[in-house]
Amino acid sequence: MERLFIVAYDIQDPKRWRRVFKTMHGYGKWLQLSVFQCRLSRMRYLQMEALLGEFVNQKTDHVLILDMGPADSVKPRVQSIGRPFEPVERIPVIV
Amino acid sequence: MVVAEPKDMEMLTGAMIPPIPARMLNEFVYCPRLGYLMWVQGEFEHSADTVEGGIKHRRVDKGGGSLPEDPGEEEIVHARSVSLGSETLGVTGKIDLVEGEGNRVTPVDYKRGKRPHVEGGVYDPEKVQLCAYGLLLKEHGFECVEGFIYFVGSKERVPVPFDGALVSRTMAAIEEFRKVAAGDRIPPPLDGSPKCVRCSLVGICLPDEVGFLSRRGVEPRPIFPSIERGLPMYVQSPRGYVRKDGERMVVEVAKEQVAAAAYGDVSQVALFGPASMTTPALHECLRREIPVTWFSYGGWFMGHTFGSGHRNVTTRTAQYRASFDDGKCLDLSRRLVAGKIANCRTLLRRNWKGGPDALPSLMTSMRGDVRRAVRAPSIESLLGAEGGAAGRYFANFSGMMNWKDEGEGGFDFNGRNRRPPRDPVNALLSFAYAMLVREWVVALSGVGLDPYRGFYHQPRFGRPALALDMMEPFRPLVADSTVLTAINNGEVRAGDFVRTAGACALTEKGRRSFIAAFERRMGLEVTHPIFKYRISYRRLLEVEARLLVRFLMGELKRYPVFMTR
Repeated sequence: MERLFIVAYDIQDPKRWRRVFKTMHGYGKWLQLSVFQCRLSRMRYLQMEALLGEFVNQKTDHVLILDMGPADSVKPRVQSIGRPFEPVERIPVIV
Repeated sequence: MVVAEPKDMEMLTGAMIPPIPARMLNEFVYCPRLGYLMWVQGEFEHSADTVEGGIKHRRVDKGGGSLPEDPGEEEIVHARSVSLGSETLGVTGKIDLVEGEGNRVTPVDYKRGKRPHVEGGVYDPEKVQLCAYGLLLKEHGFECVEGFIYFVGSKERVPVPFDGALVSRTMAAIEEFRKVAAGDRIPPPLDGSPKCVRCSLVGICLPDEVGFLSRRGVEPRPIFPSIERGLPMYVQSPRGYVRKDGERMVVEVAKEQVAAAAYGDVSQVALFGPASMTTPALHECLRREIPVTWFSYGGWFMGHTFGSGHRNVTTRTAQYRASFDDGKCLDLSRRLVAGKIANCRTLLRRNWKGGPDALPSLMTSMRGDVRRAVRAPSIESLLGAEGGAAGRYFANFSGMMNWKDEGEGGFDFNGRNRRPPRDPVNALLSFAYAMLVREWVVALSGVGLDPYRGFYHQPRFGRPALALDMMEPFRPLVADSTVLTAINNGEVRAGDFVRTAGACALTEKGRRSFIAAFERRMGLEVTHPIFKYRISYRRLLEVEARLLVRFLMGELKRYPVFMTR
């Protein structure tokens, strides 16, 4: 069962920041500066957590992973001012 | 349990059996079937638990330190990732950590999670694995009377003494595993065991499904359908260009990014016509075992690119053997064709929009076709029965369509034609079948079968005969019904086709909407008529492919064809 997560991070070093930014593209959709929205199974969540844990500096950096609940049923209560916020969907890519 | 006569299968004789990895011994003690699938058949599948285990193991797997050359010397031993093997024991092993002094050492094995609440604080399979390490160390001249299991989750070290009982239990397990590997009977699945629920091979083993079909009456638990997989990616725009960007695939049209998907979310890639892919993007697909399928511009299935392929040779051997067995071929073909006709009949009954008078006699004659197929004495007469039913079905196909006058002929359908299709409905049908063939080729290669060697369709160069066989019952359920939905909902319109020299094909835009409709159908959940749990067509194809493997290996007496009511 997939869950919806919001991942936000503060990374002090630009080199590490870039690495985290690139990695996060493999797990979610970029939402805002340093904020990603992810829809992950337990397996993918564990992989992401392990990678982030490896990259960041435990003393200076900070990564927050907010669990929003089961991705299929949850309606996240989010107030979005300006551009719209839409939870990531599970749909095939057709170009 | 029904098991086929294994007389003529190739057997490994005792001497040919390679030493058993102690890790596999652990699996064997946990569940003999799991040990067999993993070690003898080379099956493996990641689950959240195995991924977590890998992460927790990272530190110890890095290696470092070494065992002393001469165990007599008095020195401190602290070695990580120590590989040892012994012909006499018939076991090899990679020990996470060996520590001690001089020739007195203890093996330490790392396990993710916390110390379990059982007597002694360690589960049996882990004890046996550890004891095998102990025996290996003894073989190499060390003194070794106990070992430790280190639980990463609770940071606890639990001692395991190698007493007489454990040693003889370990020796017995090695002996038994060798015996099972030498025969070629796959051990039966566990009976409704709670162990299955989190087992990573549950989708390959199908414990409840196999058990249910071969003997007991308890309904299978929906363990398998709940496994999450990625979704397909289609690039059908002729200028589409897929490249790798870190952890994702980015699709560009005219240098402009139009879509992106993380590799971890993609289950397969389908490329149409001149749409292209860079080598790095393709390499990453191969590395992650994401199949890439290639279509002509018009949707003709041309082939697929897949990694080094499936390791399970036993499955393919069983498939080839069965394909030379006329009785087995006929039995399977009858079932598949009868299933297809029955499903066609169901589709007609459910979607009938024509006059009410025509339906009852049509239903009766199609029931007769099903009966003819089931009793067909040969493949030839089966082909006859299938042809008769198909003629009847397609003659009445337009009875399931809404009649909207769209000008330019609209969706006028007067029977099936192909190569090339000459009207919109035939173009849609041909395209839908090509998509379904792709799904089956991917599903069959994914479970270790050869899609090109079939039972009903004769092998011919470049024709995925087994995929065509397996697809029969699914033609009406997935392909035809998508065509009907797309037409009746107005998702595809008369303007979405191009006609050239008597042939009719979908435009790029029409194809995109049709693929979307097809994917919606594949994601639709249906209640399995035999197992009673809910499952999407996408997952169902894999279940059916796995069940075919179980049938070919002799575990199931007959192959259960999927039929809806």
